[in-house]
Amino acid sequence: MNRTLIGFIRKELTQTLRDPRMRVLLFVVPIIQLTLFGVAISNEVKNIRLAAFFNPNDTVLRDIYERSIAGGWFIPAKSRAQDPYMMIEGDEADAVLFPPPGGFTRDLGRGTAELQLLVNATNVLQAQAVESYLQNIIQRTLQDDLKLTWPTPPIQITTRVLFNPALETSVFMVPGTMCTIMIISTLSLANIAIVREKEMGTFEMLISAPVSRSEVIYGKTIPYVILGMSNFPFVLAVAIFVFHVPMRGSLLVLLIAAFAFVCTAVALGTLISTYCRNQQQAALAGFLFLFPMIMFSGLMFPLENMPTAIRWISYLDPLAHFMGLLRNIMLKGGEAAYVFTHIAFLAIIGLFSITASFRRFHTTLQ
Amino acid sequence: MSSFVWRRAVAIARKEVFHILRDPTTLGAALALPLFMVIMFGIAIEFNVKNVALAVNDQDKTQSSRRLLDTFGSSRYFLLHSVASPLDAITDVSAERARAALIIPPRFEKDLFAGRGAGAQILVDGSDSSTVGPVLGYVGSIQNIASRRIGDFNPPDLYALRTRFLFNPELNSRWFVIPGLTVVVMAILSILLTALTVAREWENGSMELLLSTPVQPMEIIVGKLAPYGVLGIIAVTFVYVIARTVFGVPFQGNLAVFGLGCLLFLVTYLAQGLLISVVTRKQTIAMQLAMMSGMLPSNLLSGFIFPIESMPVFFQYFTMIFPARWFMRIARGTFLKGASLLELSGPFLALSISCALMIFMAKRRFKRDLEP
Repeated sequence: MNRTLIGFIRKELTQTLRDPRMRVLLFVVPIIQLTLFGVAISNEVKNIRLAAFFNPNDTVLRDIYERSIAGGWFIPAKSRAQDPYMMIEGDEADAVLFPPPGGFTRDLGRGTAELQLLVNATNVLQAQAVESYLQNIIQRTLQDDLKLTWPTPPIQITTRVLFNPALETSVFMVPGTMCTIMIISTLSLANIAIVREKEMGTFEMLISAPVSRSEVIYGKTIPYVILGMSNFPFVLAVAIFVFHVPMRGSLLVLLIAAFAFVCTAVALGTLISTYCRNQQQAALAGFLFLFPMIMFSGLMFPLENMPTAIRWISYLDPLAHFMGLLRNIMLKGGEAAYVFTHIAFLAIIGLFSITASFRRFHTTLQ
Repeated sequence: MSSFVWRRAVAIARKEVFHILRDPTTLGAALALPLFMVIMFGIAIEFNVKNVALAVNDQDKTQSSRRLLDTFGSSRYFLLHSVASPLDAITDVSAERARAALIIPPRFEKDLFAGRGAGAQILVDGSDSSTVGPVLGYVGSIQNIASRRIGDFNPPDLYALRTRFLFNPELNSRWFVIPGLTVVVMAILSILLTALTVAREWENGSMELLLSTPVQPMEIIVGKLAPYGVLGIIAVTFVYVIARTVFGVPFQGNLAVFGLGCLLFLVTYLAQGLLISVVTRKQTIAMQLAMMSGMLPSNLLSGFIFPIESMPVFFQYFTMIFPARWFMRIARGTFLKGASLLELSGPFLALSISCALMIFMAKRRFKRDLEP
C-alpha cells in the first residue's frame, strides 16, 4: 500500500470520527438497537384478548376458556358489550368464543356440538395463530373433561425441530436484525462520503490533485470497510452473550463472511454515490436500495412464498446472502458448499459494483 | 416581535418548491419510492407458507409409503425431492437445500398392516422462524389425512369449531400489509427529506442568512415544511390508489378520517425531521438519525409486521412514544374495519399529543439556537 493511500484512509477515518455524535451513532447505537429489537421483536403471537360467552352450567366451555387464559397465549378481554361482533368491532377483544343456544356441554352429550369463534382478521398472522391455538386447547380439554381417549391415528408422524429445538425467538431474530443494522450504517455511510465531497466541491479538488483514480476510490472505500468490520465484533458479542445465540461454526469463517458482506455493502454504496449529486439524493437512492434488500432478505417474509421471479431477484440481494450465511454458520455450524457459494455470490456482487463504480468515475471525469 | 405573516411563509415555500423541482432526481425518487414499494410488497408478500422444500428418504419403498409421500406432495405445501440416506436428508437441511426432512423407516407398511401404528419422522429446520410454525401445523393435518386415506381411519367428529374471520374473511396477506405500508412510506419520506434539506441549510450557512432577514422562525418552519407535506400527501395518495385498484384492498371507513390521520402523522414526522436537523445540523448525522428514529421504529416497532401485543410489557408501553404505532391503528382501522372517528379516538388523541409535542420541541430548539 502506498503512502498516499494510507494518508487518504487516515484523513477519511479522522473526518468521520471527528464528530463525537458520529462515534456514538456508529458504535453505540447499533448495539442499543440490537438489544432493543432483540428483546422486543418476535413473530410469536401472544396476549390475544379472548372473550367467551357461557352459562354457569356450561362447564366444558368454561374450562376451555380458563385453560386458554392459563396457557399464556390469551388474556381475558375487558368488555361490557353484549354482542360478540360489537366486541371485536369496538376493538375490545381479538377473539370471541360463543356456544350453541343450549350450551356447548349439553350439545357435546348429544353428539355433534358446534362452537363458534369470531376472530378479528385485520392481522392475518394473529388470526391464523388464534385458530390453531384454540383447536389445540379444545382437544386437550375435551380429552381431560370427558375422559375421552382419542383413537390414535394409524400413522404417526413425529416431529423434531433441528438447530433450535426450544424455538427461541431471539435465535431467529437476532442474526437477522444484526445484518440489517450493519447494512444500514455501512452502505449509507460509504454512499454519503463521496456525495458530500461532490456537493461541497472538494471532489473536483481531489481529482485535480496528484492522486490516481484508484487511490481516490480505495481511499474512499477502505475506511468504511474498516469501520464496518470494527463494528461487527461488538454486535456479535451482544448476539452471543446477551441473547445466547449459539455459535456452532468457525469464527474465522464468520469473519470472512462478514468481511465479504461489508466490502459488498461499501462497494454498492460507492456505486450508488456515483449517480447522486447531493446528499438528499444519496439518502433517497440509498433507501430505494435498502428497502427491497430488507424485504427480500427473508427477515420479515418467508422467501419460499415469493414468486420464482422475485426469488431470483433475492440472489442479487447481498443482505439475503449474509443473513443466510449468518444463520447457517451460527446455528448450523456452516455447511461448506453453502457457505462457499454464498460468499462467492457476495464477492461477485461486490466486484461488479466496484468495477461499475470505476467505470462511472471514468466517464464522469472526462 | 412581529406576528406570523402568511405571505412570507408562502415565499419561503415557493423557494423550496423551486428547489425541489430543480432537482428532478430527488423528486423522481420521492415519487417512485412509494409506487415501487407498494407494487413490490403486493407481489411478494404471502404469509401462508407453501412450497417448503422437503428432503425425503423413503426406506420402505412400498405402496403405503408412496401414498404417504403422495399425501405430502398433493398438499401443495411441500416440494419433495428424494435423498439416499437419513444423513443426506439432514445435510440437505444444513445446506439450505431443504427446510425439512421426512424419513420413512423400513417397516412402515408392515407396522401399518399389523396395526401397530406406523411411524415416520419429520425433521424441521429451526433456524427460520417464518416456516417452523406453519410446517408443524401442516404435518399435523397431513397425519390425519394420511391416516384416513391409507389406514382407513375414521374417528367420529365430536365437535366442530366454526371460525369466522371478520374484516378479512379470506385471510388475504395483502389486506393486512398494504394499509400498513401507507405508514411506512410516509414515515420515510417526510422525516428523511426534511431532516436532510434543513440540515443542508445549516451546513452551508444559508440558514443563518435566512434568519437574519425579517422572516419569523415560525414562517421559516411552515414555509420549509409545507412542500414536503404536499409531497408526502401525493405519495400516500399513490399508495391508496394502487392498493384499491391493483390489489383490490377494501376501504371500509371514512376517507376524511383517514385523511385527517395522514395529515396529523405527516405533520408530526415533518416536525421530527426538523428537530433532527436543528439538533444535528449535519446531513450525514441527520440521515443516520432519521433512519434510526423514523424508519426502523416505523417498520419494526409499530405493529406493521411484528405484533405489539407479543412484546414484553415494557415495550408495549415504550412503543407508545412512536407516532407510527398510532397511525398504524388508524390506517388498519379505516381500511379494513371501517372504524369511525369516535372508535379511533384513542389513537387520534395520542397522535395529536405527539404532534403538538414535536412541533413545540422543534420550535423551541429552533428559537433557542437563534439567540447568541
